Amino acid sequence: MGAGLESSTTNRSSMRNRLSSYWEPYSQVPWLGWLVSALIATLLEQLIGTPLARVLGLTKPPALFGLVIMLKEPGLIPSALVYVLLIYLVPIGLVARFGASLANKVAARLLDYPVVLSALVHIALLYATLHLWSGVSDYRLLVVKLTLIAVIVTLSLNVVNGYMGEFSCSHPGFMALGAYGASVFTVLLFVQDSRFGPPLLPLPLVLQHVLFPISLIVGGLVAALGALLVAIPSFRTRGDYLAIISLAFMFIVKSLFENLEFVGGPRGLGNQPDLATLPWVFFWTMACIWIINNFVRSILGKALNAVRDGEMAADAMTVNTRHTKMVAFLFAAFWAGVSGGLFAHVLRYINPGTFGIRKLAEVLAMVYLGGLNSVAGSVVGAVGFNLLSEALRPLEIFKWIIIPVLLIVLMVFRPTGLIAFTELDVGELLKPKVKPEEEVEYAAATR
Amino acid sequence: MKKLALLVLLLATLGMLSACAGAGGPDTIKIGINAELTGDIPKVGEGTKFAAEMWLEDIGGELEVGGKTYKVELVIEDNEAKGESAAAVNSKLITQDEVLVIVGPQASKQAVPAGGVANDNKTPMISPWSTNPATTLDRPWVFRTPFLDPFQGPVVANFATEEFGFTKAAVLYDVASDYPKGLAEFFKQGWEDLHGAGSVVAFESFTTGDADFSAQLTKIKESGAEFIFTPQYYNEVALIVQQAHELGWTAPILGSDSWGSAETVELCGEECYGLFFSSHYAAKGATGATKEFIDRYNEKYGYVPDDVGALTWDTMLIVQQAIQDCGTITGDLAKDRQCVRDALAKIKEFPGITGNMTFTEQGDPIKCAVIVRISDAGEFEFYKQACP
Repeated sequence: MGAGLESSTTNRSSMRNRLSSYWEPYSQVPWLGWLVSALIATLLEQLIGTPLARVLGLTKPPALFGLVIMLKEPGLIPSALVYVLLIYLVPIGLVARFGASLANKVAARLLDYPVVLSALVHIALLYATLHLWSGVSDYRLLVVKLTLIAVIVTLSLNVVNGYMGEFSCSHPGFMALGAYGASVFTVLLFVQDSRFGPPLLPLPLVLQHVLFPISLIVGGLVAALGALLVAIPSFRTRGDYLAIISLAFMFIVKSLFENLEFVGGPRGLGNQPDLATLPWVFFWTMACIWIINNFVRSILGKALNAVRDGEMAADAMTVNTRHTKMVAFLFAAFWAGVSGGLFAHVLRYINPGTFGIRKLAEVLAMVYLGGLNSVAGSVVGAVGFNLLSEALRPLEIFKWIIIPVLLIVLMVFRPTGLIAFTELDVGELLKPKVKPEEEVEYAAATR
Repeated sequence: MKKLALLVLLLATLGMLSACAGAGGPDTIKIGINAELTGDIPKVGEGTKFAAEMWLEDIGGELEVGGKTYKVELVIEDNEAKGESAAAVNSKLITQDEVLVIVGPQASKQAVPAGGVANDNKTPMISPWSTNPATTLDRPWVFRTPFLDPFQGPVVANFATEEFGFTKAAVLYDVASDYPKGLAEFFKQGWEDLHGAGSVVAFESFTTGDADFSAQLTKIKESGAEFIFTPQYYNEVALIVQQAHELGWTAPILGSDSWGSAETVELCGEECYGLFFSSHYAAKGATGATKEFIDRYNEKYGYVPDDVGALTWDTMLIVQQAIQDCGTITGDLAKDRQCVRDALAKIKEFPGITGNMTFTEQGDPIKCAVIVRISDAGEFEFYKQACP
């Protein structure tokens, strides 16, 4: 019996060894390698995706890695798995594995120049991959856009709830302010509308695209202004009180727009020009990640953490706590406003009811799923929640049992979320996993 | 490595096998249903789903178009009563499931953004319930089956004038809710067109969730109005009627199609007996196809269908007629969708259970409304038809 137990443990450990030996070469793959192989996989899908799907008995390439059809038609699961394996997993695995040394060399060479260049190359590769991947179907495109917007709003809420340690419920309100601010700006200037009359600035479409960021900034500023109104009375309080005041603010914003006749009242505001293209949404998401990441790693960000961990202590350590909290809150509201502006221009219709308590529940779920005090966590949380939400849609009412149960399980086992309290160091991320000299030695050793 | 290869091979074989069993193919017509199955108004989504499934059962899952029999498949998706989900569902139905035509979403909050997606992708869509003008406005590919509020408002105004000879009206409505607010304004406009400016002597509002209307009702009573028009939902209707009667109001109270839920009488009781409202159809005293539909629905699902069910039923039949009018299904989706859209726009005098319908160029139907009286037994009985 003792022998049996022993053999089972050795079995398990040998299993683990084997798994880690499979994984071993991949730990050498830098981000550049992964991105290039993902790009190659999407190119492959463009070339042979549709014929392969036909051969496998699928009418179309599965939209979200087969997640959507799995629950709808379980009979197609094998086909979807084969498709994902052949189009994504195998090519990515092969290219990443055998291109690793080349990718490491290129990544090392890129770092001879300023980090910005290397980052831009990575971002360009990511964009190319997303562009090609979402080019296959409009459904993918819309899901990608909404997911990227969710990333922005999740990150901005994490600044308040994670980094500042307050519990704010007003983010849907900020989104609404941003959405209406940006929409009024573009509808007023660019399009013929029954409510706002002829366009004040009838520009060609290209120039409208160029001016689109201004409308988002306007939306963001409107949201920040709203945040100022909450911040002045509420930062005299802490904890639960702020949560309640911010919740009240969300309802105030909702009823404000319900009663504002010139933006459509409860009927909502439509007719936004079609400006939120994938490049713009992607650009703003990257800008948001970049800026928020720099913000939370700056002195101000550290001061914010100090305020969270002990306001009195922070004050004693010469941190201007009121100023710090104010700046962070307005900053977070600005980004929520930008995401609202993008949201309005993706859907091209908004109404006050959209920015209610359900939106709040969703955003909070994404923040706490991904992890507090973590940029990477917010990205993972937003992407994960959105994919899960799309994948479980066919379950209808059970979806709203499964997702909360998952959240409860997560809170029990990882109370702070999946990837909490981490720092995202872009420079470290872009580095080659193996330095070229080391690799030579590694190769020699294995030979 | 060998094991992995074996696994791939196994999966591939399974894939091939399921390929034969897989749905789709040129002989299938797919119809997308974009419904509010979860979220704020699940009952609406349920009614949609039930009516659509009843239709599918009715035609036996097959449709004959141009002498050829096609298998009909419903792709029912949940939009969670969210605008962005409704748009995502529509783009999924259009590009992934490749449906020929979409029925739904029901509420305007979902139908407006979803209609944008359908129109951009040149796919015909019909909303059975949405009354917001923006749903179909400037969208040649989007249609609807209910009459619009700009029509319903004047219908009630005409009825009150002809039936009772009233000249002074009072309106009580929810200012924060899309539908009552719009309808209240259209009624006011219609009434003033008939009786001149100032003939709406009280135009009182409240906010969603209010339960005490005595202040507004007192004002209305003092204004000298001869009746109250209140386009509210069933829970508020009960409160408004009861409180009005407590304050000594004896004149009629009129309502709109939002009264047409079984809950209205349940909550309001005898207080509501004898009151009138405009609606899409009346369940009590229905004859012919309407009665047949109500009886079958009641038997199958255990309750009398409300207007969502009836309107969805009509919508499914309209879609069926449009597909059949189209003549041939070529299998080229873009061409077929165009053909179905054109057939929809050409539909004239369609005999639906919610009235005869003719589509305008804008995608809105020209149809009659029904004035319903709540009988002394608490049933919704047909009183009168009001046509444009």
